[in-house]
Amino acid sequence: MGFSSDFKTIQASDVHADAVKRKEDGWRYVQILAVNKEEGINLVYSYMLDGLLENLVISGLASDHHMDSITDVFLEAFVCENEIHDLFGIAFDGLKIDFLGNFYRLSTEVPMTIISPEKLAEREKQRKLAEKKAKAEAAKAAKAEAGEEAADISGAKPGEPLIDEEMEAKLAAMPPEKAAKVRAAMEAKAKKAKGADGEVG
Amino acid sequence: MGKSTVIPFGPQHPVLPEPLHLDLVVQDETVIDCLPQIGFVHRGLEKLVETRDYNQFIYVAERICGICAMGHSLGYAETVESLMGVEVPKRAEYLRVIWHELSRIHSHLLWLGLAADAFGFESMFMHCWRLRERILDIFEKTTGGRVILSVVRVGGVNRDIEDSELAAICQVLDGIKSEYKEIMDTLLTDMSVKNRTVGVGHISLEQANDLSMVGPFGRASGLGYDVRTFGKGAYGELSEFQPITDTQGDCYARVKVRCEEVLQSIGIIEELSAKIPAGDISVKVKGNPEDGARASNVLEQPRGECYYYAEGNGTKFLERMRMRTPTSQNLAGMVSALKGCDLADVNMIILTIDPCISCTER
Repeated sequence: MGFSSDFKTIQASDVHADAVKRKEDGWRYVQILAVNKEEGINLVYSYMLDGLLENLVISGLASDHHMDSITDVFLEAFVCENEIHDLFGIAFDGLKIDFLGNFYRLSTEVPMTIISPEKLAEREKQRKLAEKKAKAEAAKAAKAEAGEEAADISGAKPGEPLIDEEMEAKLAAMPPEKAAKVRAAMEAKAKKAKGADGEVG
Repeated sequence: MGKSTVIPFGPQHPVLPEPLHLDLVVQDETVIDCLPQIGFVHRGLEKLVETRDYNQFIYVAERICGICAMGHSLGYAETVESLMGVEVPKRAEYLRVIWHELSRIHSHLLWLGLAADAFGFESMFMHCWRLRERILDIFEKTTGGRVILSVVRVGGVNRDIEDSELAAICQVLDGIKSEYKEIMDTLLTDMSVKNRTVGVGHISLEQANDLSMVGPFGRASGLGYDVRTFGKGAYGELSEFQPITDTQGDCYARVKVRCEEVLQSIGIIEELSAKIPAGDISVKVKGNPEDGARASNVLEQPRGECYYYAEGNGTKFLERMRMRTPTSQNLAGMVSALKGCDLADVNMIILTIDPCISCTER
């Protein structure tokens, strides 16, 4: 018997009915987990049958969302449901063994929904990089247009970029002041080279 | 029937190496209900994935639990490898399984010692732990560590074991096997052990199925579920693998299954040591897990199936890492096994289930 795993999406309202059906079909309950995302909390329900591990994903739940408990079908899910309640805040209605928020001894409420400074910094960094990239692309498009116009006057080939794509990406990742300096230096170098070409020619 | 009384059991109890609290509802001397309570050693280790990159987190994963350290690092590494599409060299797969099976022997011998102590066999406790020391010596010789091995990495393993060293390990295991068989025979045929375990804490096959039980706890009730049968990694190279099961479903069956699993693990190590191919022990892993990439994995830990989940976000830090441990899955089974038992049998039932609370709470 081999092993394979799979991810599928499911609606929050279908979770209980799906659990009932899986129980009838002989699936084993494996686990429930939560993931804290910017757009809300994702839940992943996992079941296994004959080496196939199926993960059902529910996306974007609010932290005070109420889910139907599946402990009436799979009692063993009480551990994960209580844990998710304590760590993420999602409530489970009809929990067979409900610790009412006292499953773990926590000094902080719903600690897994708190975005740590490290994660926040990482997200900010990613966001800034994306913004810079978008700006660079916009600038590149504008330059390409300007380049076409200039080509008519200077004789350069239409569409030929002054700075290649790889360099643009590097510039986008640099602090703006440094990027401006590098850009100016490159432009000066390009002008100089053009001048030298003219002299030789 | 008399009045119901709630008797607290744990979190500090001679039979429990880790903190687990039970509210036992008893009538006369019979437990009619039980409410488990954990949460005394929750360390929020999964949250640490935000501040440790995917290569560093392997050292956090193996610190989830001292007994299952090797298994957690292996399960984590396999999940991240699956997330990033990394193929591990064959030799590394064999070495991983050899260390993992050694870890299973060490875990079962540790448990057997504790069980023997609880039965009142203090000398047997010492014998079991003496044998376990020899396994720890093998760990020390091959990895440099006795408990936390730090030998698995994403992409392979950090250390190789020479073929001559593998032969020496097999020799040590051969010596352990004969001594262990004597201990096992004494334990499984002793009348006082049988009196305390036969027919106690019974779980039927139907209950084991219903509660999705895992590991030796489930296998002692006839449930033939063992992740090793999926043939992942070097387990797929074994000529034959059949999970060890029993049909009695009581404490005695659980002791028997674990005892026999030690011999099975020795057999696996001997077979893989003879078959291990030459070659690299790791591959270089470049890049980061993709944004939104997800992977799930299962591994047979000494206590049963452990589930691992990893999600990437395009950076070197994972978005989420999750482990669902075997004890977490077996808590419902433990409650069922305790219902209807004598108060005096509670410690024996808990011991034969072998809960690992550090793993469960992370």
